Amino acid sequence: MAAALPNISSDLVWEIVRNNNSYLHKTGAASNGGIQLSRDPLNLTNKNSRKYAGFVNDKAVGISAGEKGGVVVVSKKAAAVHQPAKSVATTTIGGGKSTRKTYKAIASQVAKSGYRADLREAAVERASAIRKSQLPVKADPEPKLRGKKALKAASAGES
Amino acid sequence: MASRPTVTIIGKDGAPSGATHTIPAVFASPIRPDIVKQVHTGMAKNKRQPYAVSEKAGHQTSAESWGTGRAVARIPRVSGSGTHRAGQAAFGNMCRSGRMFAPTKVWRKWHVKVNQGQKRYATCSALAASAAAPLLLARGHQIMTVPEVPLVVDSALVEGSSVARTAAALALLKAVGAGADLEKVKDSKKLRAGKGKLRGRRHRQRRGPLVVYHPEVDGKELVKGFRNIPGVETSPVSALNLLQLAPGGHLGRFIVWTSAAFKALDEIYGSTTTPSAHKRDFLLPSNVVSQADLTRLINSSEIQSSLNGPKGDAVTRRSAVQKKNPLRNKQVLLRLNPYAKVFSQEAQKKQA
Repeated sequence: MAAALPNISSDLVWEIVRNNNSYLHKTGAASNGGIQLSRDPLNLTNKNSRKYAGFVNDKAVGISAGEKGGVVVVSKKAAAVHQPAKSVATTTIGGGKSTRKTYKAIASQVAKSGYRADLREAAVERASAIRKSQLPVKADPEPKLRGKKALKAASAGES
Repeated sequence: MASRPTVTIIGKDGAPSGATHTIPAVFASPIRPDIVKQVHTGMAKNKRQPYAVSEKAGHQTSAESWGTGRAVARIPRVSGSGTHRAGQAAFGNMCRSGRMFAPTKVWRKWHVKVNQGQKRYATCSALAASAAAPLLLARGHQIMTVPEVPLVVDSALVEGSSVARTAAALALLKAVGAGADLEKVKDSKKLRAGKGKLRGRRHRQRRGPLVVYHPEVDGKELVKGFRNIPGVETSPVSALNLLQLAPGGHLGRFIVWTSAAFKALDEIYGSTTTPSAHKRDFLLPSNVVSQADLTRLINSSEIQSSLNGPKGDAVTRRSAVQKKNPLRNKQVLLRLNPYAKVFSQEAQKKQA
């Protein structure tokens, strides 16, 4: 098991990759108010930071939208870090479940079991944002005619 | 190193062959991006060919300055008449068809000597980094379908001419989960920006897996099988090159080892205490910090037992708080004068 080698740890990996990695997306110059975002699927806030860098940490959570609504929660297995094909566990929470129950399930999976308690808030926030985006889009109401156009339309309707 | 972990050897169709091998000591080398970067910068320069502008460029005219008094700049001017060129400024780097500033010379220092010790250190470091899945991901390799890192494939699968054909080689890579990385390379081929297009560097593309084999056991026929797969490179285990192990100076190349090559690593690199069989007097670099995991260091009993206990009581009085008037606030008064309670009780009794 490669993780057992003492020459490497997530602390060291982070120091190596924090300024340059394949997930990192820098906007503008840092001096110009540029921000550093991450495209890592295991990053809950999409921010390039030690806490949320899922590919660096042994334990990490990623939440994405499910294909048929709902959310998909992926979490890393700390024991299988060196076995990429086996390293993530996927849980699907269907769109039929109420949002409250969805958040409860996520919170208990992420935090209550002592997995990554520090990620609870971010995980629930991300799930909430995904659920919100899945709501049906209300059609814009028919614009009400005002002023002369309204008079014209009224008279046209009468005649 | 007391106990080293073992690595599964992948057999047919990407399933474990059942055999395992202890991870070679070189994978426990210190990971030093600074050394790798510096060595890579030097080594990358050693394949350059000299170029320069013509020695004569901009000087093929008999121009002379007109001196002062002609109300023109004193720059040399082309002599004669009859063409438009006559009277035009020449030679200077600011002139049209003048020579460039500081014309490039073929005797520029093109190559950089890198010390052998540093090169070996960097190679060890890059090999160690290739066993860390997070570093492979950070380099952009698509390894989510790979069963294990480092990925060791049974030499029986590449023996003789079994992967001498590209189709067989491709099937092998796909079976061990490297298919996604090959797709990434294929999709990444883009036209190069700039003049490089005209100079034999028309396209740019990502790097895929590096296949490391043992020439004496695996033979060299597999090179032919792999060489036409975009992004895939092959290297004999006895001649690993930092430019392939850490392209661009970035650690974490995705390496596919044959089991023979993987087993040969211990003999080639030796360990931190026994010298290498092939590199004279070479010992693997040792880690300065034997445990890189900070959390484990902090929580270790050695550190925890030598720490001071937490200062203060369970409840500590805050220092910077709003001042309360003890004449109005009874609690503050009691804190200043514990006898005030008795005082007020006496006063109440007197009134009653």
